[in-house]
Order: sequence, then C-alpha cells, then structure tokens
Amino acid sequence: MGLLEQAAVDRDIGLWEWLSDVGTWTGSDGILTSLWDTVVLCSIVTVVATLLSVPTAALLAHARKAELSTTWLVSISRAVPTFAIAALLLPWSLERGWGFEPWPIFVALLLLALVPIYLTTYTAVRQVDPAAVNAARAIGHGERSILFKVELALASSPVLAGVRVAAIQVVATEPIRAFLGGDGLGRFVRDGFGQNNTTLVVGGVILIGGLAALTGVAFVVAERLLLPTGVTRYSRQQGEK
Amino acid sequence: MSVTDQPTMSTPAIRLRGLTKVYGSSPEPAVDALDLDVARGEVVALLGPSGCGKTTILRMINRLIEPTAGSIEIEGVDVTDQPVTDLRRSIGYVIQQIGLFPHRTIARNIAEVPRMLKWDSGRIDERVRELTVLVGLEVDMLDRYPDELSGGQQQRVGVARALAADPPVLLMDEPFGAVDPIVRKSLQDELLALQSRVQKTIVIVTHDLDEALRVADRIALFNVGGVIEQLATPDELMRSPASEFVEEFVGSDRGMRRLSLKNISSLDHRMGSVVDLDDEPSRGLEVMDREGIDWLGVVSEDRFAGWITRSAVEDAARNGKPLADLDRSDPIAQVRPDDTLRAAMELIILSNAATAVIDDNGRFGGVVTLEDLRAALGDTESVGAMT
Amino acid sequence: MTVLAAARNPIIRWEWLVDEWDQIRSALVEHLTLTVLSMGLGILLSALLAAVAIRYRWALTPITATTGLIYTLPSVAMFALLAPIFGNLARPTAVIPLAGYTLLILVTNTVAGFRSVPRAVRDAAEGMGLSPFRRIVTVELPLALPYIITGIRIASVSTVGLVTVAAIIGQGGLGSLIFSGLRRAFWTPMTVGASLSIIVALAVDALIYLIGALLTPWTRRAAH
Repeated sequence: MGLLEQAAVDRDIGLWEWLSDVGTWTGSDGILTSLWDTVVLCSIVTVVATLLSVPTAALLAHARKAELSTTWLVSISRAVPTFAIAALLLPWSLERGWGFEPWPIFVALLLLALVPIYLTTYTAVRQVDPAAVNAARAIGHGERSILFKVELALASSPVLAGVRVAAIQVVATEPIRAFLGGDGLGRFVRDGFGQNNTTLVVGGVILIGGLAALTGVAFVVAERLLLPTGVTRYSRQQGEK
Repeated sequence: MSVTDQPTMSTPAIRLRGLTKVYGSSPEPAVDALDLDVARGEVVALLGPSGCGKTTILRMINRLIEPTAGSIEIEGVDVTDQPVTDLRRSIGYVIQQIGLFPHRTIARNIAEVPRMLKWDSGRIDERVRELTVLVGLEVDMLDRYPDELSGGQQQRVGVARALAADPPVLLMDEPFGAVDPIVRKSLQDELLALQSRVQKTIVIVTHDLDEALRVADRIALFNVGGVIEQLATPDELMRSPASEFVEEFVGSDRGMRRLSLKNISSLDHRMGSVVDLDDEPSRGLEVMDREGIDWLGVVSEDRFAGWITRSAVEDAARNGKPLADLDRSDPIAQVRPDDTLRAAMELIILSNAATAVIDDNGRFGGVVTLEDLRAALGDTESVGAMT
Repeated sequence: MTVLAAARNPIIRWEWLVDEWDQIRSALVEHLTLTVLSMGLGILLSALLAAVAIRYRWALTPITATTGLIYTLPSVAMFALLAPIFGNLARPTAVIPLAGYTLLILVTNTVAGFRSVPRAVRDAAEGMGLSPFRRIVTVELPLALPYIITGIRIASVSTVGLVTVAAIIGQGGLGSLIFSGLRRAFWTPMTVGASLSIIVALAVDALIYLIGALLTPWTRRAAH
C-alpha cells in the first residue's frame, strides 16, 4: 500500500456500517493489514530503542559519567521534530533505492523513542539507593553484577514506565508515516482527506487513538505481571521521597 | 542580661486575655485561656517543650493564626480592629529559617516594609544603611543576594528587615535556631546590645533555656496546652521553681545556671586580705588573721601589686622592714567585673587559689572568694548543687 | 529513480531558495504565527489550571491525568478530528490541539515552580504584611519563574515540531513546504522545510533560554 493505492470506500457509508463490515477489516487494504503495519513498526522501534538506550544509560549512570551530556541531551531532545526528520531522510532513502519506507520513518521514530528511554533509565539507575549498592559491593559483588542484579532490578519499575511512555509516543506519532508515502493506520485519515470522506477520517482517528490507549494499558498490565512486588514497592517509596 | 526601667503599669504593650486556640481535629486546646501582659520595652521569652503552644501564641499576635477565643491588644488597640496587613506591617517578624527573598538583593529585602508603607526612596536608603550598621553588617553586602551570605549574616539581615519600619513590637520565633552555637551566642549578645539601644517590646519563642536566661527580662514557661507554669525573671525562675514541671525543666544544674546570670559587679565590694603597700606589716597581720588567709595582697596607687606570704610578712613585722621590700607573686586568679559568677567560680577552683582578684580595667576592684559566691546565691540548696 | 533522478533531483537545489523566497518566508511566518498563537492559548489555559491545582491540592492529580491524556492523543488524529468541525484552514483546528499538547508540561512545571518556593519565604512574606496579591505576584511568581520558563521552552520547541504535522490539513507553515515537495517528488522544498523547522525549533529554544536568564538574575550569582 503506498501513495498511489487508496482505500476505495463509498463516501456515503456511515461510520458504524464501515466498522461493522467484515470486508473493511480483512483484505490487503483492510484495517487489520494497516494495524499490523503500525504495530510491527512501533514494536521494532520500541525494542531497538530500548536495547540501545537502556544498557548505555545504565552503564553511564552506574559509573556516574556523562552527567553533563545527559543534561544537554534533555534540552536538545525536545527539538526533535519527528516529521521534519522523516521528511529530510525521505529523498536520501529514495535516492538509494530503498523506497519511501521503512528507513526515514524508522529513524525518525527511533530518535523520538531513544531520548525518553535513555533519560528515564539514567535517572532511575542514578537514583537507586546508594546504601543498597554499597551493601552489594561490600558483600563482594562485581561491578557488572551490581549493575544488573541491584541497580537495574531496583530501577526496573521506572525504566519500564519510561519505555511505556516512549511506546505511546511512538504510536501516537506514527500516523504521519502515511503522509510520507507509507502504510499504517494513518492511511485512513490520509485517504479520508483525499476523498473528502469523513467516515474514513473519523474511523482512522478512532483506530489510532484506540491503539495508543491499548498500548498504554498493555504496558501497565505487563508491568504489573512482570515486576516483582518488592521492586514496585521500592519504587513507590522512592517516588514519595 | 538587659537593663530595663520598671515597666509602667498604665498600658502594657501587649495584652493577651483569655487567648484560646482549638484545632478541629483534637479535643484538647492548643492554647487554653491564656492571660499575659508584656510591658513596653520588655523582652519576654515564651519558653517550653515542643507542643506547648508557644509558637501558636506568637503567631496569634500577628494573626498568622486566628484565635478561637480571647483578645489580643497591642498598645491598647485590639489587633482585629485594623486590616491584617496593616497590623503586620507595624510588627517586626523574625523566624528561624529567616525567609529572605532569594530573588532580591539584601538592600531590597530590608526595604520591603518601608516600600509597602510608601516611604520616599531617600528615607528608605538612609534607613537601610542605618540598619545595616546597626545589625553589624558591611555596607558592601547590600548589593548581594541572600544565598551569597552565611547563615549568621542572613539572620542579621532578617532582624534588620524586621526593624526596617521601626515597629514598636518585635516577634521572634526561634530566631537563632538555624545557626551553630557559637554564632548563636554572638547573635544573642548582639540582640541584647541592640535592645539596649532601640528598646523594642520583644516576644521571643525559644525551647532553649539558656537562650531565654540570657536575653529575657521575664520568662513565661509553658506546659502543654499553652498553660503558664511560671512567669518570672530568669533569676527567680532558677531560684524558686514554682512547680515540679518547672524544676524538671530548668534541670538539677540550675545552681550553676544561676551563677551564669550574675556578674562580679553585682557583688558587694570587699577589700579582703589586702592592704596598701605603704601600710605597716603589723596591719597586714591583722588583716590576714581577720580573713583567715595566709596570704597578704598589696595595692599600690589603686593597682593590685601582688601577694605576699604570711611568713614574709611576719618576718617584716619582726625586723621592721616595709612591705614594699618583700617578694611578691602575681595573682593566679583574676576576674573582671563583667565576668559571670560562674566564670569566677570555675577560675577559683581550677587555679587552686582561694581568692580571685578583681581587675577593673587595671584598677583594683576588690576580691572574691567561694564564700562570697555562696553568699551571693543566698540559699543553701543551690550550694549543694554547685559543689 | 536512479542516476537520472539524481541529476534532476538533488537533496537541495539552492536556486530554488532564491526563486521561491516569498513562499519560504510566508511559510515561515505562518509557522511562527501558529506557534505563537498555540503557545499563547496554552500559557493562558495552563495558568488557570495551575492556579486551581495550587489552590486545591486534590485537583492536581485529575488535572495531570487529563492533560496527560490529551498529550498522548495522536496529533494526526486531533487535526483530523477538528477539521470537519472548524474547517481545514480555520485557525482553531490547528491551534486547539497544539495548545492542548502544551498543557501537560506547562501545568506540571508551573505547579512545581510555585511548590518550590520555600515555606519560610512565604511565611516571612505573610508575616511582614504582604497582601496575598503582592506576595504571589512579587515574591512567589519570580521564584517560580525558572520552572515556568523551562516549561515554556519545552512546550514551544515541541509546538514548533508539531506545527509541521498540521500541514496535513493545509495549515502547516513549513510543513506545507515539505508536502508540496513530496507531492511533486521535488526534494528541495522538502529539505528546506524540514531543515528550517529544526533550525527554528533550536532558535526558539535558545531565545527563550536567554530571555529566562535575563529575567532571573539572582539564579546566576554564585552561591556562597
């Protein structure tokens, strides 16, 4: 699905009918396909961002390095207009024969996700109670062991929360992809604008919003399930300080 | 110790009548029907353990807390008779954490109330400079910001700020609590010096007995519920505690504390075992017998000249030698009139001398012995605590 | 799209900049206008919300939750939703969502700023006889300013970025340059639009930082 192929929908169909028609959902131009496109991209971006940011941030925070660069990063990070970056990369990607997707939007979304995950992880590891770290050191744990067993473990709640926030942001920003020649749920809005079809537009909006909300919920559930109680309790304590 | 005139009984500067504060959550009142008068120019300390309501009482005077019942009058005027901001601008308020405005220079901080009162800028500038000197700060600090000053300096600015509009009444809530004990003591001294010059009516809240003893004319010792256990001068408080609570609060070492309250100058002047250098040795023997001491002190031209052993004096008397020819040893223990009795006692005990010589700016001012100190305290109970 | 394309279609063709300067300038102006309008509305609304949250402590959680929720609403969706209501090219369609996105950070920072005022300072101010108005405006507000300005900085920069997305409804300022380039497969306007929006974002950041530093001289003095 690209710029040229559009969802062909009769513009007079009401929203409810559109959503309840099975044909809307299935097929190569159906909702499920686009949903899949969006979920795949967002997941990969989130995973890659996490894999890149968390270890880096944890290591730097543990070693108490890069405090200044981190602060600098905070200010710069806000000036990342995802849309502009994706647009900038588009010609470059096309020139290289890679097409409209996935690189421009992937890189742009990755940059968007990297910074909040890095910052939350850095702060969380940095703020881990030094008493716990010193105790572990005294017992005889090596530095790497401390990092994994103590610092990351205790910081895992805020880190996961940071990943959640980043994931939601990625999902919420991803729709611009459709306007840059790509796929994903945003295409319903794009096509709806193109055909002056309100049903498509509103439908797209609902789908996008719904996915963002679902992402949030999914993460909250995951946090609840994956994190040991002691860790969440510790984090809540830290939060109250 | 501050020196005040006898307060006139006409209008007390501050009058609290039936002052009560009840908080909704607890059945016991925080302050229960308090009556208290503060005379003009007097320093009254509200002293007591935490939770006794002393800060609540203070903050009701400038209506930061509104009383549940009772009345507060300042110079005969009920505090609720005027807009609360006007009231507060006429009262100086100093708190423990000081609360200087971080975003304003020192000069601007001090000038806050005068500016609100619309003084003209020339007068304000003059007043700020005057106060800077008064509280012991350098004029070149005026352009700095509060966080550039030390804790002690900041607290002085706090006092200057409170005095800026020359209010008759000063309220202080643990004002020196946030600085270390050495700075605290010097600030207390300066407060006394200040008070002797400006004669404000001061109500100071403190939990520190020593602080109250040092600065207050009268101390109101509170128990929980804002109940006054004793209202008395520092000396009286230590000498005759009114109840078991008071006794416990002032502590079993109150004898020692009382000694810190008085100066040498408060003692009757005594020559002691001392004669003039030109006197006859036989006179010296008389004096030594009378005093029961084996040393003779000699004074020459108003200055203390040293101690001579009894045997040397006896020898001189026998052989007709003048006292001036005898060997003299310098006094081991010397005190000044403004030293406290306690300092004198410590000196006498530590130096193993029986008598301390009073050195009044080089002139001989008399002597003081342990017996004199006992007599000064005037009761045997504190003597027991002393030794 | 190979060598031929590369010859016709470099990443940026500089002559275009000169020729189309008017177009660039009007896009820039529109971009800045939208930013300023959105920030203005955002600051106004956040001031109100912050005042409520400060006065009634219990209100902070619901306000934060609501503004947080608004923040996660996808921008594409928001523009798309409001377009049929106000019209594609009407200001409210773009400004309302953009202002909404600023609320979370502005309210959070404003409240944090006022909370950061030391209690002793507030107590001393009240005890000295400052009226509530004077206290809030001449004492608490200046002291809250560093936080507030940081919030404004962050919100402004992200607004600059989001304005480009409003191009999907035709109001994108520099975003419209991006789209026109995309539609015609002509890279120069795309590059120019994208680069400029990044540059403007950084410039706005620096500008607000400088203004903030000027407004708060006491934070720059070295502590004793």
